[in-house]
Amino acid sequence: MIYKVFKKSVVIAVLLVLWLIVPNFVHSMFLPPLGTVLKAGGGLAASGELWMHVCTSLKIAFAGLMISTVIAIPLGIILGWFKTVEDYIDPVFQVVRNTSILAMLPVFLLVLGIGDASKYAIITWATLPPTLINTIQGVKNADPVLIRSAKSMSIGNIGLFAKVIIPSAMPFILAGFRLSAGISLIVLVGAEMLGARYGLGFMIFNYMHAYMIPNMYVGILSLAIIGMIVNSLLVMLENYLTRWREKGVGVGA
Amino acid sequence: MKPEDRIEISIEELSLSYNVRKSKREGGNSTFLALQDINLQVREGEFLSLVGPSGCGKSTLLYVLAGLNKKTSGCVRVCGEEINGPSLHTGIIMQAYALFPWRTIQKNVEFGLEIKRTPKAERAKIAAGLIELVGLSDFAGSYPYELSGGMKQRIAIARALAYDPDVLLMDEPFAAVDEQTKNLLHEELLRIWGKTNKTIIFVTHSIEEAIFLSDRVAVMTPNPGTIKAVIDIDIDRPRAGEVKSSQEFSKYRSRIWQLLQNSAEMTDDVKTETVRHMLETRPQEAII
Repeated sequence: MIYKVFKKSVVIAVLLVLWLIVPNFVHSMFLPPLGTVLKAGGGLAASGELWMHVCTSLKIAFAGLMISTVIAIPLGIILGWFKTVEDYIDPVFQVVRNTSILAMLPVFLLVLGIGDASKYAIITWATLPPTLINTIQGVKNADPVLIRSAKSMSIGNIGLFAKVIIPSAMPFILAGFRLSAGISLIVLVGAEMLGARYGLGFMIFNYMHAYMIPNMYVGILSLAIIGMIVNSLLVMLENYLTRWREKGVGVGA
Repeated sequence: MKPEDRIEISIEELSLSYNVRKSKREGGNSTFLALQDINLQVREGEFLSLVGPSGCGKSTLLYVLAGLNKKTSGCVRVCGEEINGPSLHTGIIMQAYALFPWRTIQKNVEFGLEIKRTPKAERAKIAAGLIELVGLSDFAGSYPYELSGGMKQRIAIARALAYDPDVLLMDEPFAAVDEQTKNLLHEELLRIWGKTNKTIIFVTHSIEEAIFLSDRVAVMTPNPGTIKAVIDIDIDRPRAGEVKSSQEFSKYRSRIWQLLQNSAEMTDDVKTETVRHMLETRPQEAII
């Protein structure tokens, strides 16, 4: 247990120590010492500014993610089950998926303005594919023996989906959802940098332009911490919901 | 068969054919007769085995009884009702266990009862009783991956029994477990059968297994799949493992062996066709 904590934290600790030492040798403009950054962070937190940016970002990321999930899971189940529908949709989907999300950003800003609407839209757009693709894969991977077995007990179609297909696709869906959650934060920051008045992305960009570099690092550090917390919460959720799986057998995503 | 016995399963002139794709060079489809003119009557509480080589249609016949395969012609009745789709008269137990990995043992056994909309408390009671019947009460809260193959198959039996079907259909249930476990499961199955009085149709390619367990053994031969003979096994019950080395047992064994030998001249053509068909229709089971 202690060894496990050690393994997970030692490299991060070394990097933090480096952050304490290295700034002595470079211009404080590029990398202010960790202490200065933390002090700036304290100030921003005390004034409530940091909190407002964090809340704005989290709220939008979460809402966009929820919208895409509500679309992706049912759509993925349909596409995974009805092969013909997928054959029609797949080419469109491939084009969309392989077009950089950031390239689409100006389009969203142009149409929906720099308010929250464009942010919700871009996050929904960006986080749809991982959950959708994984749901499709999960449904396709449903074991035909299990389906047959359930059918032998006269299960109806709704029951078959609810009791067999969705549970068996669950590990895939969750892995996709975790990817989507990560993407939601990345894309949101990009969107906020290009056009916004609040949010962590705006904050980072704004302080860069104002040459208030410690404050800029506060924003970056906050993002790193939020990202890690979100990810570990989702890993815990995933482990709990798939506790029926033999440990050490993962699904790709 | 005594006249006062109630007929539970009656199969009359059952045939089933598939369209099989020919090789690319030849093109087109040909019809493969998986089952031809099957006639069989099984009485209530009887233990009947279907034996035969791969591709003789024994599993296909079982899946017709389960309502999972569509017959081409003929009449199949279970408990007086014609079979046209899955029904709660039959419960099937497959070689690959087919337990739901995301459900605990208890919840697996409750599955059929949920479909039947049995109230929750009653469901739990029935399942607990059956898990006890197969001797796995300590594992009720475990997930399938935590169980051995033999244990999983006992749970599969419990699950099939849960919604109280009249007939248990078993598709090579013990083919994937080791010899010792298999012997234990045989005795266990006979004990459960004695307690529950279910009619059991048991598909196997093992002649010994069929003789040891059954009241009657139907010998099936391939191309097209037909029942060549039905043999009464007059060995006293309860049967213990030693019975397998008795003289009467080996008499039955050589008799069935001969029936199968006489029809073993399968052409290679038919073999590949059969194997291909099995791979296409039952990918999972064929690999396991």
